[in-house]
Amino acid sequence: MLLEVRDLHVEFRTRDGVAKAVNGVSYAVDEGETLAVLGESGSGKSVTAQAVMGILDTPPGRITGGQILFEGRDLLRLKEEERRRIRGADMAMIFQDALSALNPVVSVGDQLGEMFVVHRGMSKKDARARAVELMERVRIPGAAQRVRDYPHQFSGGMRQRIMIAMALALEPALVIADEPTTALDVTVQAQVMDLLAELQREYRMGLILITHDLGVVADVADRIAVMYAGRIVESAPVRDLYKAPAHPYTRGLLDSIPRLDQKGQELYAIKGLPPNLMNIPPGCAFHPRCPMAQDVCRTDEPALYAVSPARGSACHFWRECLHGPEQ
Amino acid sequence: MGRYVVRRLLQMVPVFIGSTLLIFLMVNVMGDPVAGLCGERACDPGTAAQLRREFGLDQPVWQQYATYMGNVFTGDFGTAFNGQKVTELMSTAFPVTIRLTLVAIVLEIVIGITLGVVTGLRRGRPVDTGVLLGTLVVISVPTFVTGLLLQLLLGVRWGWIRPSVSPAAPVDELIVPGLVLASVSLAYVTRLTRTSIAENRRSDYVRTAVAKGLPRRRVVVRHLLRNSLIPVVTFIGTDIGALMGGAIVTERIFNIHGVGYQLYQGILRQNTQTVVGFVTVLVLVFLVANLVVDLLYAVLDPRIRYA
Amino acid sequence: MPEQPYEPERAIAGTGMGGAMDLAASEATTLEPAPAGPLGTGPVGKPRSLWSDAWRDLRRNPVFLLCALVIVFLVFVSLWPSAIASGSPLTCDLARSQDGPGPGAPFGYDGQGCNVYTRTVYGARTSVTVGVLATLGVSVLGSVLGGLAGYFGGVWDAILSRITDIFFAIPVVLGGLVLLSVVTSNTVWPVIGFMVLLGWPQISRIARGSVITAKQHDYVQAARALGASDTRILLRHIAPNAVAPVIVVATIALGTYIALEATLSYLGVGLKPPSVSWGIDISAASPYIRNAPHALLWPSGALAVTVLAFIMLGDAVRDALDPKLR
Repeated sequence: MLLEVRDLHVEFRTRDGVAKAVNGVSYAVDEGETLAVLGESGSGKSVTAQAVMGILDTPPGRITGGQILFEGRDLLRLKEEERRRIRGADMAMIFQDALSALNPVVSVGDQLGEMFVVHRGMSKKDARARAVELMERVRIPGAAQRVRDYPHQFSGGMRQRIMIAMALALEPALVIADEPTTALDVTVQAQVMDLLAELQREYRMGLILITHDLGVVADVADRIAVMYAGRIVESAPVRDLYKAPAHPYTRGLLDSIPRLDQKGQELYAIKGLPPNLMNIPPGCAFHPRCPMAQDVCRTDEPALYAVSPARGSACHFWRECLHGPEQ
Repeated sequence: MGRYVVRRLLQMVPVFIGSTLLIFLMVNVMGDPVAGLCGERACDPGTAAQLRREFGLDQPVWQQYATYMGNVFTGDFGTAFNGQKVTELMSTAFPVTIRLTLVAIVLEIVIGITLGVVTGLRRGRPVDTGVLLGTLVVISVPTFVTGLLLQLLLGVRWGWIRPSVSPAAPVDELIVPGLVLASVSLAYVTRLTRTSIAENRRSDYVRTAVAKGLPRRRVVVRHLLRNSLIPVVTFIGTDIGALMGGAIVTERIFNIHGVGYQLYQGILRQNTQTVVGFVTVLVLVFLVANLVVDLLYAVLDPRIRYA
Repeated sequence: MPEQPYEPERAIAGTGMGGAMDLAASEATTLEPAPAGPLGTGPVGKPRSLWSDAWRDLRRNPVFLLCALVIVFLVFVSLWPSAIASGSPLTCDLARSQDGPGPGAPFGYDGQGCNVYTRTVYGARTSVTVGVLATLGVSVLGSVLGGLAGYFGGVWDAILSRITDIFFAIPVVLGGLVLLSVVTSNTVWPVIGFMVLLGWPQISRIARGSVITAKQHDYVQAARALGASDTRILLRHIAPNAVAPVIVVATIALGTYIALEATLSYLGVGLKPPSVSWGIDISAASPYIRNAPHALLWPSGALAVTVLAFIMLGDAVRDALDPKLR
């Protein structure tokens, strides 16, 4: 396994109390595999990714338990300097909003070249040449001239390509993309996503794709992990999950996608609001919003039951859900 | 860019005329410039009238102003009543004050930015609270009190410095006076840097820099500091004029014979030409410094476009 | 477009705790004024939540309470100095020149043999009077000019902006020296007059800015659309909402005016003896700095504490009104 997160716990201490953002998340990504992590705001999907990258703000954040095994080593036991050498070189991250994620007062060439200067000890001149190559690689027209430009001089799609180029500069084994296309126009989204998928295949990287967009997931992901209130509630190969969800939350998500063949029908929406992380409901965290909730859901926290060897669901009634009321 | 500079230069003209006219009026209308010449006694009317004619004081004020400015632009700042050329006074006074101001600005930059970065990165820790409180005290205590206290402690009690600066005013004797002159601005620079650093520290591009695996030092210096210093540079630039004008108090405490000293003497003796001349130059320095800062802004922040 | 069940997860990383929390915290107490009552029919919409939130913060802020206590004490002392100091500040005995503390003179005597304690106590009156009156003058003049320029815009706004530029180009202490050196009256009035003359542009800029912001709010536009007069809009809708930043800046400015009076008196152009002012005392004590430092330190200390109290009070109020600045 390239990356294995085991029983990760993260909490944030704030003036108003302790927010439990991640509560025992486990997932794994292999070389060349794409794992999509799906969830609403506050489900802990980004926090988990930040813990893996080692860019969590501490304080207020704190990792209170678990292991993050990367190429066999537990990252949480490494010294900061060792982790720094891994960041950028062996694992990289693509952020959502490239305009704010790129430094506004440093030219894109310098920001790209910096990767080679810092991690590979290249001269500034060689690094600049590599930056141009990278920009050509992500198909930015006129790369040789534009290497001196600043982020605000590029369009949204071009900026995100630069972000991708920066992440892939040193051909890392693992890339985490946090909502890489959310900030883009719909027409550009597909291009950027295709580019990312293409480069991933080429370099055989492990990719963790954090998203809320089920449409994106279907095309590129191998596996899906659905998160709710800091836990993984369902984990499955992408086809299986789409065919028959084994958790009522996943079912709710699928049902709330507008579909062409159901034109005119009222769209389904999961009732209620995501839980307050300072006060997560006891038992199954989803029970106040769950149409299938029983008494046991209010008291007993469901484990991740093995639905099949490759599939898990954290629902007491996963069988009922899987074969569920035929619509 | 060129058009922007021209526009800014044109905008400076009314401000320059307005502020020099204001000072000209204050000096000429509020007081009787001739009165200062005859010492404590009242002037003999005949002598007074003759002096007035000699200095053109019998003409209307606006005409005096026009004549004066005409002369200024040919490099003639007039003659003080004691017969000394104002430009001569300037040539001895300005180098001293410029040296003092430079010392002050260097201290402002080195100490202010260092403290600002340290506290900005350690918000809420004891260092931060301590420095923050210190800056408030420095801002609150008037410069002349700070100056006198430092003179008392360092100069009189402990004998580390000379309580008054020698006429040549070498740089090493100007360090403590420079610190006094800079003190309030230094506190502002500290607070400004601290706020700016603390704000940018949580920004997305700093997180990106960390995620790129850059060493902490490079993250701070190259990414965090470069963005955070833009407002600080602006402040320091506009402060140059204020420092030179504010040198009056510092120069008086440490007996430095610079611009402030000459101005003070000029005002007490109602020496119109000296006062107006020096103020005119100070206003010019202030305006030019502001323009330079504006242009510098475009260099520091590529997002700024001047059309 | 149907409602999306999902929201993009917003920059959790920014603060760790997910944008939501910070947003909630800042939304509760932003400087953005709360909208006033609809079209002036209801009670005038004071930015109630803003002030009550700020007040709740301030009541628990020890710095604020301490500063307020110092200021109350100062006002008391300047109203009734004889309550805590016996004798007159002008009765001096050269025989006691530079003496240390003695009965009735806990701070000792200065170079002229005056009782430093009595003079320091009486000096508070000058500082408080100058500070309060100059601030009032500056605030009224600055708010009116800046407010009108911001509201009506156009030519008047442009002219006012240029005039403020002119005033900003003149160093304050220098202007004070030039103007006050020709004044013979030895009262606080010329000093206050000078401060109002040179201080108003600072407030007018603030007032102009906040009026322009307030002007763009929907309820003001609505009032205008319904034909409310300019006077009514300015007084009932804009003024209550634009006043907060002015108050904050004015509080801090009050401290700086006290410091400025002392500086001018120190330079010999503010108040002159036989007036009583901390600046005069500090100036008079500086030649005796070697033998009688106490004569310098007590008025300096009083001055520093006073200015500090006002500036820190203003700082605390600003922080309470806008926690983002913290």
